[in-house]
Amino acid sequence: MALVALLASGCGGGGKLSAKALTQKSTSLESLAAEGALLARHAGAGKTTHIFTRVHSAYLHEAASKEASSLRTATTEPALEPKLRHVTSLAGKVSADLKRVGHASKAEQPRLARELEAAAEELK
Amino acid sequence: MSMKNVLAVALGILSAIGGFVDIGDLVFNTQAGATFGYQLLWVVVIGVAGIVVYSEMCGRVAAVAKRPVFDLVRERTGFSAGLATLVASQVVNLMTCAAEVGGVAICLQLLSGLPYRVLIPLAVVGLAVASWALPFEWIERVFGYLGLCLLVFAVAAIKLHPDWGRVAHGFVPGSHVGGSLSVYLYFVVGLLGAAMTPYEVYFYSSGAVEDGWGLKELGLNKVTAMIGYGLGGFLSFALMIVAGTLFLPLGIDPQFLGTPALGAEEAFGQVGLLLALVGILFAVGGAAIETCFSGAYNTAQFFGWRWGKRERPAAASRFTLAWVIIFALAFLVVMTGYDPVKLTEYSVIFSVVALPLTYLPILLIANDRTYMGSKVNGKLANVLGVLYFILILAIAVAAIPLMLITHGGQG
Repeated sequence: MALVALLASGCGGGGKLSAKALTQKSTSLESLAAEGALLARHAGAGKTTHIFTRVHSAYLHEAASKEASSLRTATTEPALEPKLRHVTSLAGKVSADLKRVGHASKAEQPRLARELEAAAEELK
Repeated sequence: MSMKNVLAVALGILSAIGGFVDIGDLVFNTQAGATFGYQLLWVVVIGVAGIVVYSEMCGRVAAVAKRPVFDLVRERTGFSAGLATLVASQVVNLMTCAAEVGGVAICLQLLSGLPYRVLIPLAVVGLAVASWALPFEWIERVFGYLGLCLLVFAVAAIKLHPDWGRVAHGFVPGSHVGGSLSVYLYFVVGLLGAAMTPYEVYFYSSGAVEDGWGLKELGLNKVTAMIGYGLGGFLSFALMIVAGTLFLPLGIDPQFLGTPALGAEEAFGQVGLLLALVGILFAVGGAAIETCFSGAYNTAQFFGWRWGKRERPAAASRFTLAWVIIFALAFLVVMTGYDPVKLTEYSVIFSVVALPLTYLPILLIANDRTYMGSKVNGKLANVLGVLYFILILAIAVAAIPLMLITHGGQG
């Protein structure tokens, strides 16, 4: 029963996205962008360690790039195509920014924080 | 009570507070706070009261009947039903142990920067060596005291200036705002499951038998259960308040073990971050050892093997082998790369499903004069015991459907 439930509740890949599924992906990316922005803001203010920034941003980046990959191969109904393209484009940008957070200088972090905050805002 | 005894009780309470939070509490309290703000604080109160009721009964049964949980489960339910209960409990124990081991490796990674897959075997070996080499009291105290670093979240909750009126309102059950009803109910079940983790009770009860508790320890049992678990619940409140104050307004849905640490970092910078990570490391590490020993205790007690941490490993060889195997299996599960946070969510939900199987026999025995003599449940213990049994049954039935409907709380 445990195994069945684990499999049944697992995440799907790309495929044809319903409006609800697309919204869920957008919300998930918004969360990753917002968390990355918070981390970058802390890094810029010297409130965190280099190691934590590098490792935690790598987790965020990995999750965002998985979402970006699945969005790139996804399709949806015609009415939602523009939204899918927009979310896919933002996913790529968020993923790239999160990768940079892990290795950016202290001076560069505030700009990354602003970019990620803007992306999170757009994904709302 | 002599000064020495007062100190012993105080130290016991401190280690119980530090040892209260495990990966399930971290995950569910933070996610609940980030999704519903302070609206689910009342559930933590009910969950903490539930674990107090359950552990007080188990401790009393251990002190009076001198017998631990699974010994009694087999006697009360018979071999077949007892075996089914054992298997269900062991599956949950293994999932929880694997999640905690994965959590230790992630914490070490966030502190050291070394690769996760290198740190998994190091974490398992470190925990196994600590389990083998350290006496019982030292395991409890080292992990419990260092787990107290989690108190940084309590101070962070104050420093982040939450709306205290809304926090107070969260202690009153009521209709929710934001999110769907099914997700709200999923978190109700998850928070109750995270607070009432059965492995803590198996460990507590077995420890009481190992320590040779008798009638004169009944007071200590009450104090440890009520104050230790009760105060430990404050850490759960703190995690939820921090998440509700910081993550909810930003739209952050915490899916990583490092996310709660951002709350301490926001309040106290690097010092806060390090205290949070050390606290999580030792709280989760202590829970990994407890789950592993609980699994070995359950098996040994059910089959009537010689058992005990105080026994020489060769004298209780099957018990020793059992906990070594549980660590080894947990290692294999974590090495598959399955996300420890996801594993935690499943282990908490499945522990809710298995909970009535061990709760009911203890409730019945705590009421049975053949075992308990004059120390059977009083009126209050009985009312609470029965109310919690009804609650546990209801959430056990609802747990898996809610997990499936909400895709694990994702809506």
